[in-house]
Amino acid sequence: MEKYLYIALFAPLVSSLFSALFTAQKKKQFVGVIASLLIFTAFASSTVLLVHILNGGEPIHVTLMTWMATGGLNIPFGFVVDEVSVVMMMVVTLVSTVVHIYSNGYMDHDKSFNRFFAWLSAFVFSMMVLVMSDNYAGLFIGWEGVGLCSWGLIGFWYNKESATWAANEAFIMNRIADLGMLIGLFLVYWNTGTLQYEEAFAAFPGLDHATLVWIGIFLFIGAMGKSAQFPLHTWLADAMEGPTPVSALIHAATMVTAGVYLVIRSHPLYDLIPNVGLFIASLGAFVAIFAASMALVNRDMKRIIAYSTLSQLGYMFAAAGLGAYWVALFHLMAHAFFKALLFLGAGNVMHAMHDELDPFKMGALKEKMKWTWIMMTIASFALAGVFPLAGFYSKDAILEVGFVEHHYIIYTVLLVTAGLTAFYSFRLVALIFHGEDRYTLFGIHPHEAYKFMLWAMSPLLILAIIAGAFQHTFFELVEEALNAVHYHIHSHVTLWIMIIGTQAFVLASIFYAYKKYARKGIKVPDGTSETEQSFLYKLLYNQYYIPYFYDEYFVKPYRELSSIFWKKVDLKVVDATVDGIAKVLYSTGSATRGMQSGNLSTMLRWMVVGLVVLLMIAVAVGLAARYSAELSQFLAGLGV
Amino acid sequence: MLDHILSILIFFPAVAGMLGFVVKPEGIRAYGITVAVVEFALSLVLWLGYDPSVSGMQFMETLPLVPSFGINYIVGVDGISLFIIILAAFFTMIGIASLPETKNEKNMIVTLLFLQMTMVGVFAALDAIAFYVFWELSLVPMLYIIGAWGGPLRIYASVKFFLYTFAGSLVMLVGMLFMAYFYYQVTGKWSFSLLDWYRLVLPESYQIWLFLAFFLGFAIKVPMFPFHTWLPYAHGQAPTIGSVILAAILLKMGTYAFIRFSLPLFPDASVFFMVPIAFLAIIMIIYTAMVAYAQEDIKQVVAYSSISHMGVIILGTFALNVEGISGSIFLMIGHGVVSGALFLLVGVIYERRHTKLMSEFGGLADVMPRYALIFGIMLMASVGLPLTINFVGEFLSFLGFYQQSHILTLVAGTAIIVGAIYMLAAFKKAFFGKVTKKENENLPDLNKRELLALIPLAIITVWLGVYPKPVLGPINSSVESVVELMHEKAQNPEYKKKIADVKAIKLARAAEVKEAK
Repeated sequence: MEKYLYIALFAPLVSSLFSALFTAQKKKQFVGVIASLLIFTAFASSTVLLVHILNGGEPIHVTLMTWMATGGLNIPFGFVVDEVSVVMMMVVTLVSTVVHIYSNGYMDHDKSFNRFFAWLSAFVFSMMVLVMSDNYAGLFIGWEGVGLCSWGLIGFWYNKESATWAANEAFIMNRIADLGMLIGLFLVYWNTGTLQYEEAFAAFPGLDHATLVWIGIFLFIGAMGKSAQFPLHTWLADAMEGPTPVSALIHAATMVTAGVYLVIRSHPLYDLIPNVGLFIASLGAFVAIFAASMALVNRDMKRIIAYSTLSQLGYMFAAAGLGAYWVALFHLMAHAFFKALLFLGAGNVMHAMHDELDPFKMGALKEKMKWTWIMMTIASFALAGVFPLAGFYSKDAILEVGFVEHHYIIYTVLLVTAGLTAFYSFRLVALIFHGEDRYTLFGIHPHEAYKFMLWAMSPLLILAIIAGAFQHTFFELVEEALNAVHYHIHSHVTLWIMIIGTQAFVLASIFYAYKKYARKGIKVPDGTSETEQSFLYKLLYNQYYIPYFYDEYFVKPYRELSSIFWKKVDLKVVDATVDGIAKVLYSTGSATRGMQSGNLSTMLRWMVVGLVVLLMIAVAVGLAARYSAELSQFLAGLGV
Repeated sequence: MLDHILSILIFFPAVAGMLGFVVKPEGIRAYGITVAVVEFALSLVLWLGYDPSVSGMQFMETLPLVPSFGINYIVGVDGISLFIIILAAFFTMIGIASLPETKNEKNMIVTLLFLQMTMVGVFAALDAIAFYVFWELSLVPMLYIIGAWGGPLRIYASVKFFLYTFAGSLVMLVGMLFMAYFYYQVTGKWSFSLLDWYRLVLPESYQIWLFLAFFLGFAIKVPMFPFHTWLPYAHGQAPTIGSVILAAILLKMGTYAFIRFSLPLFPDASVFFMVPIAFLAIIMIIYTAMVAYAQEDIKQVVAYSSISHMGVIILGTFALNVEGISGSIFLMIGHGVVSGALFLLVGVIYERRHTKLMSEFGGLADVMPRYALIFGIMLMASVGLPLTINFVGEFLSFLGFYQQSHILTLVAGTAIIVGAIYMLAAFKKAFFGKVTKKENENLPDLNKRELLALIPLAIITVWLGVYPKPVLGPINSSVESVVELMHEKAQNPEYKKKIADVKAIKLARAAEVKEAK
């Protein structure tokens, strides 16, 4: 079995290095094909491992070699395939395979085709390291690795100023969170003496509560960066500058869920500190509704989906924070399928529309792009949580957790968000695919994507439909590893009211969105309508002015302060002082040259002056020393 | 030969440099490369012969110079100095091999060989006077390199560099003389031998004064804030080769000396000054990173970034535990490789365009993809990405200091943020965007000579990031003995607690191994 672990882990690395060999050359089709095959190999191996674990096999644990060892620290390269990591491996390799194949078509005409696959496969490798590591340090390797690949892929079209800016923003913002994560690691090390999961988890119950709380908080700060939780969320929407397959893989299905994975992986810790868990859940619920509200009015197709991702991450944290780790992991998995599908569909639309992103300029595309329409509609139904699609099972479970655990505020917020989700998802679908065609005005002739791209997307489509059926198997798989329990609402009446009520609410939202945006006569907004003038619309459209606030109160002052530090402090104060001292020494030298005139009487006179001065200093020091015990002790060091 | 390998390593380049004067100008480059390669091979022989299981000094040689005053020529090597010596040999080799067409090539190569002697000498010397002599002698070739081959402000920059560091080391010399005098007072014998001094236990108040005297010399060399302003001038004016050696090796003399002298000689004072020095280190990290961000000249970005990284090294050193000090030594090597490579990379573009202003570039990734790739690797190492050489040192330094102070480590840890800001901003300005200047449209990518120098550096950067053990192992065992010595010597019980108790750690580890069996 170990063999499969190594294949799953290293096939993406091989793929990346192989593609990297051709980065400087023109597009080579075989690079994309071989990369896709290698990633598929990783997927196949992961499947074998999943079957092994499903059949009750022992978790597979390997240690390659020592990485860092000094003092009491010993960090190996260790990897583990257990119930949790195998689920993540499946999600990562499956979506990666789909995205790799899809990219063969999507990046068809790009001059940096080969470089794209080098980065994409490198990302898969980093993600595999992240989820398979058996210790926090290894997780951190993957953590930073995916950050690097995200940087390289957001800024993939590096000639574009906005893309490179977004890439740097994502990297730096993640670094802020990574500092929290590092501190978390230091706390774990100095309190438990190890960074291995197993040993650390075994030691946690023996630590005092305050320490555990700090560990929990700092690790979660790390998670907040990768999973773009408030207030570190702005980078995710800007990250949409990258090619769309990247958004599907990295910024929807896998990397952004790394934070959730961290919390799930550290569940023995968070079990001990439910108050931190409650904070995580509350923040998650807040982010869910906060992000959904921004998606309501946005006019950029990819950003709308990005906000929806953010919102769904909030759901996952809400579940994980309340201790329902398996529910969070299940939603993570289901979400990966339908969100990646949604993004890839958006990629098809973008291609058809010559990179136009404003859905108001589209309309009636269902005639030209039937399959994309079907896929995106089903993905949106799944996202909205309509029975019997994947989202219904995973999202309803989260709502039930909130209800059963008596956190009614969280429950209500998440319920309202479910309605908003349904609304903005179908606002998007309606604007893109229904109503009148508005794109002809802009002289665009849309066409459906390549067949093989649609075929590549089909596994995601199937899973978005049927993933709910796996709920029971999934529960049994992780039951032991995550201390999973079923969240039963005891009264059947309440349960049915809840389910039917939620479904009715969601369907009503969908219907309302369709009614509002699929009608005839929709105009491209020009900022004059009454809605657009309203305060609320502006607030939401400008993302609560948070990016503006960051720019104005962090970015600009930092730049100005840096400039002051250089031009005023470093050159005018620090360096000028040094030069000043040198100058004084130099001029004293020239000024006192007169003393050594060779004239005996002058020199004698100076000698007397010197003697008197020295005597005075000696007396002063002596007096001071007598009256100050500390000074005398200090001076003893000089031998006085 | 192994018995005298250190002396050979020290004096072979000097003798070869002397002979270099009679070599014909056409052959001097080949001659220089040959000498440097032989020297590097010798340093590898040293590594092969080094026994990693021994934590103390190896390959020791003693030759009496002024026995009546206890001045001897004593050299030796342990895990702390071994890799810096190899690094010095390596960079001299890379530097000479990648030397672009220079006027007075012969003088340059002879100067570099002399510089190599002084560098190896400093790291091998175990006698304070010998150390001092090599320390000061190293200034001369560097003064000459900046002064003779530098930019328009070269005289000002070189004199500033010389006088500033020289003034600091004079104070250090006074401290050394006092140490020897104190040794004489206690034992009735003069000695400048470092190993003799290690056995001395000084009263705390003496320690504080002596620590300060040594500190001034070391701090200017590092350079620590606020003594750092000579460095941007030196880098700004120095030719590429000067900057490379300065950043990669010469700066490490200061941080190395802290570990060789200050910590084991003055353990109580080291604890006493730990917090103030940590504050200085934090200022170095954040303040210079911000200054680096404000720069318009890409070489100055790298220069200021060096100071910022040296702050992390200082912090790791004063963690006073094995993790931190090992980390700081590893970071010395990591920073040597990475900043040396970055200065070489800046030299590449300067040679093509004769400007280092970032506003003059943009879109270089289109024109010079290989250059962009290697620069990118070094950029990622500089920001401390895991699996690159710098991460290991940075992680361990912070990890170590975390034991001493949580808050200060949290503040200092912003290094990973501010470091990313200036490096990514600089990379974006130079490499991303569209090619706007006509002059940049047809810039040639890296040539063979440049690749020859840069590819090994890129390989080391990744190799030691993935597998640091061959270097970290020997460092670890030598550091353990230093920390053990400090712990034993510390008198103030409050301070003793702050220094890691290696014996206890070793016992715990042995117990664990037993249990595992």
